[in-house]
Amino acid sequence: MMIPGSAILSHPIHRNRILALISLTVVTLGVNLFGIMNNFTVVLPHLLYFPVILASYWYPRRGLAFSIGIASLYGIVSFLFLPLEILAGMVVVMRIVILVLIGGVVSFLSWNLARSEQQLQDIIEFLPDATFAIDKEGRIIAWNRAIQMMTGRPKAAMLNRDNYEYALAFYGERRLMLAGLIVSNEEHIREKYPQIRQEAGNLVSEAFLPHFHGDRGVHLRFSATALMDTNGKVTGAIESVRDVTEQVMTKTALENTSNRLNTLAGILRHDMSRTLAVLYGKLQFGVMKFGAPDIISYIADLKESANAIRRQIDTSREFRDIGVTPPAWIVVQDAIETAAARLDFGRVTFHAWTERLCVFSDPHLPTVFYHLLHNALKESTGSTRIIITYHIRENNCAIIIEDNGTGIPDAEKGTLFVQREDRYGKGLFLSYEIVSLTGMSLRETGIYREGARFEIIIPSEGYRIEGMER
Amino acid sequence: MDRLQPFISVSSPSVENGSAVPYVRELRAAEFALADNVWLDYHDTTGDPAVDRIFAVFDDGEVVSVARCRRHKDGLEVDGIFTTDSFRKKGYSRLAVSGLVEACHNDDLYMYAVRHLTSFYQQFGFDPIPESALPPVIRERYTWAGGNLEGAEVQPMRRRVGL
Repeated sequence: MMIPGSAILSHPIHRNRILALISLTVVTLGVNLFGIMNNFTVVLPHLLYFPVILASYWYPRRGLAFSIGIASLYGIVSFLFLPLEILAGMVVVMRIVILVLIGGVVSFLSWNLARSEQQLQDIIEFLPDATFAIDKEGRIIAWNRAIQMMTGRPKAAMLNRDNYEYALAFYGERRLMLAGLIVSNEEHIREKYPQIRQEAGNLVSEAFLPHFHGDRGVHLRFSATALMDTNGKVTGAIESVRDVTEQVMTKTALENTSNRLNTLAGILRHDMSRTLAVLYGKLQFGVMKFGAPDIISYIADLKESANAIRRQIDTSREFRDIGVTPPAWIVVQDAIETAAARLDFGRVTFHAWTERLCVFSDPHLPTVFYHLLHNALKESTGSTRIIITYHIRENNCAIIIEDNGTGIPDAEKGTLFVQREDRYGKGLFLSYEIVSLTGMSLRETGIYREGARFEIIIPSEGYRIEGMER
Repeated sequence: MDRLQPFISVSSPSVENGSAVPYVRELRAAEFALADNVWLDYHDTTGDPAVDRIFAVFDDGEVVSVARCRRHKDGLEVDGIFTTDSFRKKGYSRLAVSGLVEACHNDDLYMYAVRHLTSFYQQFGFDPIPESALPPVIRERYTWAGGNLEGAEVQPMRRRVGL
């Protein structure tokens, strides 16, 4: 049978605290009794605050009862041994009231503090990601439910352990992990550990741990950030660990499939290009062999069709490459110049006013401008002027490509960027796909018969103007 | 010959009859000092890349005329239209303002025009407006005139959005 209170006494911290409180209470009451016996009652009663405050701070739920108890004992001792005077009696009563009040206030504040700490602990405890935290000395101060399940190591066995105990659970050896790097104040982390990167203030890295899951291995993503005090000093670090094995396997499978499809498409492109070269040769031979104007005109039409096939092969090559190279900050004016160099503007006036604009984009941004300009330059549009500008708006920036041609009929605007075989081909679809890779979007806002107006909408974090801090 | 050639870099200007054709383009932040040099004789105006776009006319590689579009919190103001003395009467200011208007036409543009130049700016779509129609921040720039803009020989003007 468990004796009430024996559980709390079995914990060394609680046992020490209770012993300290009992000792302090006996000593302070004894000193007060000594003072009362010797008619010295001025300062000594203040000593009683110490056991009251400590008891209320350590055990907020029992703080008030403890302070009532110690105040009562003081009252009994005082009324037994002090001379019966009204003034002295009132002073004792006031001291009793103040002792109880102090006990109550400290208990209330400590209770609230403990509740906040408990809420924070609960948040960490029930985070879906495996999470642990360490203090400045590298001692484990939190080890949540998810990390217990991931590592099989119970919280009780991990809390307060130092000397890289947390790393044993993952790597089987005592070594630095991201949280340890943060509290170690290590400088030049990125130079020393190139596999570690910074994302939104967190240190992030991935690793494959072969001995996990019965030696089947697991891909883990580690993410850590510093815990700071109110002065901004690092007091510890918190690290979360996520099993990304499924994503890695899916990505690998997709890459393999993509590689196979690209290889197949490459073979087809190569064969088509060779056949096309033969066709061009025969068309050239036809021009030399036949002189009749109607046949020459017919051959010219055939050559135009062959050109269209060649452009489609080029477009298919661009489809293969988009998204393969990581996005980067790109000078828009350079991208436009690259696109313009591939086009014949003839008598069409072309101005681009994007000198200081940079956007975070897939490196195929010039392809976007190429297709938009190529559309505007088609003879059927009747354009004589194309202008590219940018417009800074409250939540984004728009690159605007506008011409003074016939524009886009309203009925066609809804399906303009959908892959289709007819009038607009695949260029606009491809352009839409390229800008979408970095959160940009593409839309047409022109008025039919007044001109086409394409807007590339860039989110606020995706653009910057050289020399302009935002 | 089209002289608005903003996508041709300054190092490779067009050539006509053996000499480089003057053209206009927007200055990069590192080139703002070129405009400051032109403005030395124009109220010591200087450009600020954080809020300004400067359009400069290049003649034989040298900046000879400039126009500025400054972004205030409540509107865009055009000012600083100035041509170096020795390059005047060649249409360079017209070139600089054409470039600015084309590049910045997606917003309403405001300006204080010197009165005898209002007809010049009207050719670019600017219309005279009462001072009260100016955005407050731009209006504050001329508080020294105490509401007597006629006496100060300046006319508030506005150009509506559009090419």
